[in-house]
Amino acid sequence: MSLHVTIDQTRPMRLAGSFQCAPGQLVALVGPSGAGKTSLLRGIAGLMKPQHARISVGSACWCDTAQGLWVPPQQRNVGLVFQDYALMPHMNALDNVALPLRGPERLHRAREMLRRVGLAPEHLQRRPAQLSGGQQQRVAVARALVREPAVLLLDEPFSAVDQMNRQTLYALLAELREDIAVPMVLVTHDLNEARLLADELVVMAEGVVLQQGRADAIHRAPRNARVADIVGMANRFDGVWLGPDANSTAGTGWLRWGNGDAALNLTVRDKGRIEPGQSVAWVVPGEGLRLCEETAAEPATANAAPLNSLGLPVRVVTLRHLGDVWLLRLQCLDGPQASFQIMLTGPQVRPLGPGQVLQLCMDLSMVHIMPIKTGAGALASTS
Amino acid sequence: MDWQALTLSLELAFATLLILLPSGLWLARWLARTRSRARAWIEATVVLPLVLPPTVLGYYLLMSLGGHSPIGRWASETLGITLTFNFLGLLIASVVFNIPFMVQPIQRSFESIPHNLIEASVVSGLSSWATFWRVELPLAWPGVLSALVLTFVHTLGEFGVVLMMGGNIPGETRTIAIAIYDRVQAFDLSGANRMSLLLLVFSVLAIVVSLVASGRLAPNSRARQHP
Repeated sequence: MSLHVTIDQTRPMRLAGSFQCAPGQLVALVGPSGAGKTSLLRGIAGLMKPQHARISVGSACWCDTAQGLWVPPQQRNVGLVFQDYALMPHMNALDNVALPLRGPERLHRAREMLRRVGLAPEHLQRRPAQLSGGQQQRVAVARALVREPAVLLLDEPFSAVDQMNRQTLYALLAELREDIAVPMVLVTHDLNEARLLADELVVMAEGVVLQQGRADAIHRAPRNARVADIVGMANRFDGVWLGPDANSTAGTGWLRWGNGDAALNLTVRDKGRIEPGQSVAWVVPGEGLRLCEETAAEPATANAAPLNSLGLPVRVVTLRHLGDVWLLRLQCLDGPQASFQIMLTGPQVRPLGPGQVLQLCMDLSMVHIMPIKTGAGALASTS
Repeated sequence: MDWQALTLSLELAFATLLILLPSGLWLARWLARTRSRARAWIEATVVLPLVLPPTVLGYYLLMSLGGHSPIGRWASETLGITLTFNFLGLLIASVVFNIPFMVQPIQRSFESIPHNLIEASVVSGLSSWATFWRVELPLAWPGVLSALVLTFVHTLGEFGVVLMMGGNIPGETRTIAIAIYDRVQAFDLSGANRMSLLLLVFSVLAIVVSLVASGRLAPNSRARQHP
């Protein structure tokens, strides 16, 4: 009973792309504000009628504009948790959860669902205004799940609760997930939340689905520069793709990084998707960067080969404390004028201070090059 | 105290409510929800009786429904009824001049319902009809109550339109407001006083009920949804 969504519209706003979500899988739609995440979710719920779309769950088709098929939201059996919960203010918690149900068992089932989401029995008769944000959210989740929906949709459900409540609710969602065997789609602008909760990310910008995949896979190989920016890859640089290396082993090529005398030619993986001579963006994920002894890596020479570590002398610019980890900003001393960001934990950072000169090792096998252009066109050119 | 006039006024008020409540609810909900271009014009028409002098409204009603008008002639020839200077004429006038009092408070109430509550209801599988009964009407209830009270009291007190359309026929068109005028004309000030006092009490009660409806019954309103 997988969820398949393909959408293409220009009005009232641009919305294009497709994604899938398997039963029991949680997919997070991520992207900046106005990326169309919520609109896509509304399209799935049937609260918005797209110009051109096909939306199906298993064998049931909810929307197929080519066939003129449109199933109204009432008949879709979707569980939707709204951003501000949208609980009925004139009903108590129990009645809110019983709202989608019919028949004599409705209150019993609602009570059971509220027990599962951990709402205390003494709160069942309270109206939303008398409940805390976290409790309201539990009621909203219970209402979405009580009808055993075919798809569970969550529209930024954690944005209105404080950090402590959020952690508890993450745990609740993780626990509930074990029993929910339907596709789940989460809209969030919080990347950490998406990585923590979701099996896969669907990266969106300006209404277009740019990439779907596991968070680590997207991080290792973002489809284009826009995706790299959206998933927060700090170490993104510009360069020119020189093309495959005829003398070297298959699957590698030359990337020119920087201009003039300071330029470096790096040997990196070549997937054969980019024309030689084209300007490119390239990224190296955090796991491809580490501080090392001076002798451990190849020095930064004009032609760093083969495909291994590149040593770069760097100076520590700033050290920022981010809770359990430290964020280091490093400036290259030789080669292209570039700065890197790396994360370190306590023991590694203790001997360091601003102004200190270190050796940064970059694992060239983890360098990923991609086209600079964004949008739907980039999808076709790289996949 | 002119009990006959009071009874007639109460009958007129209840009959007006009976006609105007369902139609007013429908129109108010439509105006609150619609994106039609006609909305502004219809809203203006709804408000018109509020700004029009009652005698002017009464005059036009008399002209358009009287025995010489096409509508009046048709009603007389086809249905065998007259539309002026009787209870029916009074009722038509009462319905027309109360439209803004019924529609506006209800429309404001419907407009104040957050749209995502309607969407939540629809996604929960409730039909439009069920959404109306279980979500919209309970949330709009303070406005509906307010509209009922305003319309009721306004009908009891209306003078100009009623006099133009109904005249002053005891037991048929003489309402309590006209009876007060009648008593004053006859220098029966104590009689006028009793009836005026009764209308004053009704009006004060109406204000209290309206305030309670919009204030104390308002946990339903959007403002108190998020503590």
